Amino acid sequence: MSKSVAITGMGIISAIGNNVEENYLSLINGKKGISKISKIDTIHKDCIMVGEIAYTNADLEKSLDLPADHNYSRSSLLGAFAAKQAVENAGITNMAKYRSGLISASTVGGMDMTEKYFYDYIENPTNRKYIDGHHLGDGTQKIAKLLGIEESFVSTISTACSSAANAIIIGSRLIKSGKLDRVVVGGTDCLSKFTINGFKTLMILSDTYNTPFDDARKGLNLGEAAAYLVLESDEIVKAENRKVLAYVKGYGNTNDAFHQTASSENGDGATAAMEKTLRVANLAPKDVDYINAHGTATPNNDLSEGRAIIRVFGEEVPPFSSTKAYTGHTLAAAGGVEAIYAVLALQNNVIFPNLNFKNKMKEFSITPETSLIKKELNTVLSNSLGFGGNCTSVLFSKKP
Amino acid sequence: MENTYYISNYCSIKNGKASLNGNSQITSSETEIPLVLKNIYKELDLNYRKFFKMDTLSKLSFLAAEMLLKTPTEAIEERDIAVVLSNNASSLDTDRKHQKSIADSTNYYPSPAVFVYTLPNICIGEICIRHRLYSENSFFIFDDFSGEHLFDYASSLISSKKSNEVLCGWVNVDEENYEAFMYLVSTEKSKIEHTTKEINRLYQEL
Repeated sequence: MSKSVAITGMGIISAIGNNVEENYLSLINGKKGISKISKIDTIHKDCIMVGEIAYTNADLEKSLDLPADHNYSRSSLLGAFAAKQAVENAGITNMAKYRSGLISASTVGGMDMTEKYFYDYIENPTNRKYIDGHHLGDGTQKIAKLLGIEESFVSTISTACSSAANAIIIGSRLIKSGKLDRVVVGGTDCLSKFTINGFKTLMILSDTYNTPFDDARKGLNLGEAAAYLVLESDEIVKAENRKVLAYVKGYGNTNDAFHQTASSENGDGATAAMEKTLRVANLAPKDVDYINAHGTATPNNDLSEGRAIIRVFGEEVPPFSSTKAYTGHTLAAAGGVEAIYAVLALQNNVIFPNLNFKNKMKEFSITPETSLIKKELNTVLSNSLGFGGNCTSVLFSKKP
Repeated sequence: MENTYYISNYCSIKNGKASLNGNSQITSSETEIPLVLKNIYKELDLNYRKFFKMDTLSKLSFLAAEMLLKTPTEAIEERDIAVVLSNNASSLDTDRKHQKSIADSTNYYPSPAVFVYTLPNICIGEICIRHRLYSENSFFIFDDFSGEHLFDYASSLISSKKSNEVLCGWVNVDEENYEAFMYLVSTEKSKIEHTTKEINRLYQEL
């Protein structure tokens, strides 16, 4: 049994950088990664903006040193790239020394290859190798193998936009209960026509830069990313003399029993998730120093989440911002990306600006932080609110 | 497991017959699933328009839950009922419908209304939305009905205080075959003890 859950390594690739350092520099310099789409030939290319990663599949293949006949989808390539970085960052040289596991989140899996070759499979055997790479678990297995943990506890989470945050919860619980000593947690999602068309059908894609918590917000920009964190027990931290980056202090996952896709207008699920997180962390609302909001810039999310924040924090809402304007909404990876941003906020005592905000929402008086703020931070609350009301909050802290 | 729990009520829908606690409640002369489910909906005298948007698995699960939980009340919300369902056909019935709509590259029209049901646990969502259950829930896919797994899961949820009661069951739709078996596990003493043996016995009775 471990009393606390330490974060000892982080790895990330997103539209604003290929590692943790690059992401941090973009965040503090207000450099967003949103552009027109270049890597997918979609009929919507002129009416959407996305958070695309600069690396091509060939770049990633080369970096991972994969054989020519591999069947990695782009999600798997990104996931493997970021997870490897996280393990290296933690300084792990012998994975087998401790009971280690992997919880990886994805919603896209190998869909990018499936949609490319689907009609071709019947006639042409060359690309059939990608059929095996379609399902979400395949990417997880590939990452596990690469990290040398395929024999241990390996699982895949797919709960829409809260997926990676839920991976963090499961990993934390496995460590707290003493089932594992170390768990690599996070998520990966590449862009695909599947998600672009799906979100287009729901009419929640913005044709310009997304503007979280703005009254005139037009919807989200999809983004691609992979982000993983290494969680370790007190025992490893002590034995290996680890540098702890931050701790996972509390978490809560709820369903708001409202609709298959939308979140309830009053944010019932998000409210319950934040309250549960504070209970697990044994902290009061006033103890939260910064909220990294889900803030996707869809009309539904920002209204629902804003109301939930007010319900939990009342008159004293802590500084909050959404970093989706930088990265786009990276779906299953979002909870991992933003967990890393929360840790960076704690390490550097900074609150990242909510870019593109101009107009206060008419439904309430709270507004996000719009400039980089230097402030002593001890705790950061990160929200990940999924479709269908799968709502998750995770609280990160400097102290165990 | 030290604590003894009880099965307070159970129900089933199979072969055109809906039963509660072993007693036949509604019999439909129809043979096609949609018509059978429509009959049961009418007999239960429900007024819930969302029902007609659901896929077959959700309709079946919704009706079985309706028989056990009755009309939603505030009291149900307060009872803190977790939901643990299982089957072996996942959402295949709806997956096939969706597949048909995308099979022809020249005549391609997937429907979001169908697509949204291409996951088995959506039926749990429908039950939660109807009865305002904010509780724990899980959907398992097994080769066959597994009373043992349901027993372990429900017992653990109650003993670890994750919920007060658990709505458990097996809801399966595969082509023309369908069956629903649901039961409520409670701490309140009643005639049927919550044991793997009893769960399997009630399921076999279907």
